[in-house]
Amino acid sequence: MLSLTHYLFLSFALFFIGLTGVLTRRNVIVKLFSIEIILNATTINFAAFARLYGDASGQVFAILVVAMLVLELLVALAIIAAVCSRWKCATPDDEKDLSSQLDY
Amino acid sequence: MLNHILSAFRAYMHGDGAVLLPEMQLLLFAIGTLAMDSWAANTSNEKSGTNPIFQQKYWNPALALIGIAFSAFTLWMLRARILQSGELAGFHLTLVVDSYFMFFSALLLAATALVILLSVNCATMPVVRQGRYYALLLFACMSMMLMVSAVDLLVIFLAMQAAAISAHFLAATPGLSNRTPSAAVRFLLSSALGSALVAYAFSLLYGLSGATNISQVAGALARRHNVAKVIALSHESGPQGLQMLQLLQSRLPEAVHWHAFTLEALPIAAFALVSAGMILKFAAPPFQRQFTRANPVTGFGVASPVILYLSGAYAIATVAVLLRSMFTIFADSQNIWWHIIAALAISGISYGIFCSLRQTNLERIIVYLSLAHMSYVLLGVVAANEAAATAMTYYLLTYLFIVTGVFGVLIALRGKNISSVVLNDLSGLRRRSPATALLLIIFVLALAGAPPTTGFFGRYFIFHALFETGHRYTAWFVALSSLPLAYSYLRIAVYAWRGRQSETEPAAVAFGIPEAIVLGICVFVSLAAGLYSEPFTRMARYAFGQ
Repeated sequence: MLSLTHYLFLSFALFFIGLTGVLTRRNVIVKLFSIEIILNATTINFAAFARLYGDASGQVFAILVVAMLVLELLVALAIIAAVCSRWKCATPDDEKDLSSQLDY
Repeated sequence: MLNHILSAFRAYMHGDGAVLLPEMQLLLFAIGTLAMDSWAANTSNEKSGTNPIFQQKYWNPALALIGIAFSAFTLWMLRARILQSGELAGFHLTLVVDSYFMFFSALLLAATALVILLSVNCATMPVVRQGRYYALLLFACMSMMLMVSAVDLLVIFLAMQAAAISAHFLAATPGLSNRTPSAAVRFLLSSALGSALVAYAFSLLYGLSGATNISQVAGALARRHNVAKVIALSHESGPQGLQMLQLLQSRLPEAVHWHAFTLEALPIAAFALVSAGMILKFAAPPFQRQFTRANPVTGFGVASPVILYLSGAYAIATVAVLLRSMFTIFADSQNIWWHIIAALAISGISYGIFCSLRQTNLERIIVYLSLAHMSYVLLGVVAANEAAATAMTYYLLTYLFIVTGVFGVLIALRGKNISSVVLNDLSGLRRRSPATALLLIIFVLALAGAPPTTGFFGRYFIFHALFETGHRYTAWFVALSSLPLAYSYLRIAVYAWRGRQSETEPAAVAFGIPEAIVLGICVFVSLAAGLYSEPFTRMARYAFGQ
């Protein structure tokens, strides 16, 4: 059966996938959902440890992490929309993508 | 019925509510500022009466300052309560009011009050008349006070996210023009990455200990060496191994699933993630990924009081949370992880100094070097004794006032058309306004660490603590890196003192009353804490309960 180690390896792998995504990719939206991958890894961690200890606070923490993730993405997308409205970078066939527009 | 409700309310306010009362008052005044601003916008036109004092420009900051005064008064009342009982805990022991919280929340309230005063007359900020800016400052202050007050992993994380959300919205406040600065997106990205790393580290800590209260986590981490030994013994064959296995299954059934090496090594990884994540959060204000393409004229594009707030108060609050977690959770294995924090701090100092040497924009110089100052504070954790702890809080206390003073001078130096002061704009300052030049030189010398001012004593106390506990190389690095740091700051002083005025005569420097108050307080602290530092070191020692 699946032991604790399996869950830990899964969240570890997701953490590194997310970290590589943030550090490597240039597009801002891709960076944001790479950070979301890292937070999904922490959710898996919390759920696995809550099952190990039979403690409900891990599961509460998992749900609250997801809630904070949603709020943070909301703020991030609002700010990006405010920054982006001048540069018409919403259209996908524009040759300048969002990341090069951000260079001051 | 009414008596029942009133007595329940009174019991709440005496118990749990007292722990949260300063933050609740800030929240109420923030909502009040928003409400009053929308009421004033609906009922009055541009001409708002004959008396200039009752302009809308002054209502919002006045209400915000009254809110900060209320919250400070509540803190004073709470101080009397904790003098008797030592500590006040509430909400199932997730929030605590102790002297550490007192010190840092007083510091944060003072920082917020100073930033509000500085932004009243900030002519280049179009948003300064709107209540939402002051409400955001109060929300941020409230979240940061909650951050310092939290002693539970979940509440620390939630408060850090709340403070980060307020900081992200504040960083989107534009400076000269009306467009949202793109620096806000960079700040957002590095701050979000920091939060994610901290969340992953907290999940590891919860898994290692099965509890979220940081004292219980600390206890579990301290016991982990013995538990790891028992686990290693229980894997052997033979009667002793079987006996150890039975012992584990009876006392700690969850520990059977862990491997011994993982139990020993994972807290170090968790520590590295926590410190890296929190350093990313307060290092985020530099905003700039490629310093080679820095545009000197426009600066960051973010309003100057906001930059002051993010690189001053927000960084100090993040360092305060980091220090609390380091002193409580990771206290027992300090002899292993001090290498990590020393490496992070030394690279932070080098990066900050190196990046600031290329800049000509004054705001960028100060903000890059703020990373270096926070890294100096973190080097105090390497030397883990009482003198080092006092040195760290003394450094943070005095640094806040000095950097507020510098930004006060910079905000007053800009005219209506300049968004950010460049070094060449300082030419002729001595003839234009000798008082401004003198103030700028005092603050810059204080940041550089010249002996009569207070910056010298902050770094000297840390150097002394490092030397006393045997970390010689780190101590020598602190001493020797002060030289390029001083060069970066003395460049500013030299430009301010040299006489050549440009042909186009810039406007005279005008200080309003709020700026005068702020600069007076800041120059007093910069000089007094250096000349007679005993009251300030007593305040710094109070943070740790002495």
